[in-house]
Amino acid sequence: MSKDEHREGIKGMANPTRYGIERVAYWLMRLSGLGLLAYFVGHIYETSNILRGQVGWNEFLELTQTTEGHLVLAIVIAMCVFHTVNGIRVMLGHGGIGVGKPARPDYPYEPASQNYRHKIGIYSAILLAAIAMMYGLAVMFGE
Amino acid sequence: MKIHYGTALAAVALVAVHILMRLTQGFAESLEYENVLANYKFIPYAAMLELILILLSVHGFNGLRVILLELKQGRIYEKAVSYGCLAAMIGLIAYGSRTIIMTNMGMV
Repeated sequence: MSKDEHREGIKGMANPTRYGIERVAYWLMRLSGLGLLAYFVGHIYETSNILRGQVGWNEFLELTQTTEGHLVLAIVIAMCVFHTVNGIRVMLGHGGIGVGKPARPDYPYEPASQNYRHKIGIYSAILLAAIAMMYGLAVMFGE
Repeated sequence: MKIHYGTALAAVALVAVHILMRLTQGFAESLEYENVLANYKFIPYAAMLELILILLSVHGFNGLRVILLELKQGRIYEKAVSYGCLAAMIGLIAYGSRTIIMTNMGMV
C-alpha cells in the first residue's frame, strides 16, 4: 500500500465530527469567507448598474429585490456576522488572549488553547449570526 | 497576517457605517435611484466606499490566496495563485473605482 492510500486527504481534514467545534468553526470561517467574497464581487457588479441610468438601475433592482434575493441577503448577513465574530476570536487567540498558560503536556493531552473560552466564542458567533439573520429578514420582509 | 487582520478591523468599522446608512431610511427607499446617486455624490461617503472597496478586496483575495495555498503547494502553483489573486484584486478595485468615480463626477 502506498503512502497516499493511507491519507484521507481533504475529506479527512474536513471531517467535523472528529475534531469538535473548532474544526466546524474552521470550515465555517472558510466557507463564509468564500461566500462573502463571491457576494462582494457580485455587489460590485450590481452597483455598477447605476451607470446605466435610472432604467438600468431599476431593472437590476427588480432582479435582486425579490423573495429569493432577500433570502440570499439574509444568508450573507449571517455569514458576515459569523466571519466577523469568529475572526475577532481568532485574532485574540493569535495574540495569546484566552488560550491559557503554557504547561507541561500531560495525559490526555488536551490542548490548552481549545478551552471553554474559545468554545463559547464559537457558539456566540453562531448565535449572533442567527440573530442578525433574523433581524435582517425582519427588516427586508417587514416593509 | 498583519495585512489580513488590519484590513479586517478597518473594514468592520466602515462596513458597519455603510449598513447603518441603509437603515437611516427604509431599506427599499434607501435603494431608490435618487438616494443611491446622492450617496455617491457626497464626497466623504464616496471616499468611504472607495476605502471599503480597497480594504475588502485586499482582505478577500488575500484570504482566497491563503485557502488555495493551504490546499496545494508547489513553486509554480504558489506563484500562480499569488499573482492570480493580486491581478483579480487589482481588477476588482479598478472596476469598483470606475463606478464610484464616474457616478461621483455626474457621468451617469
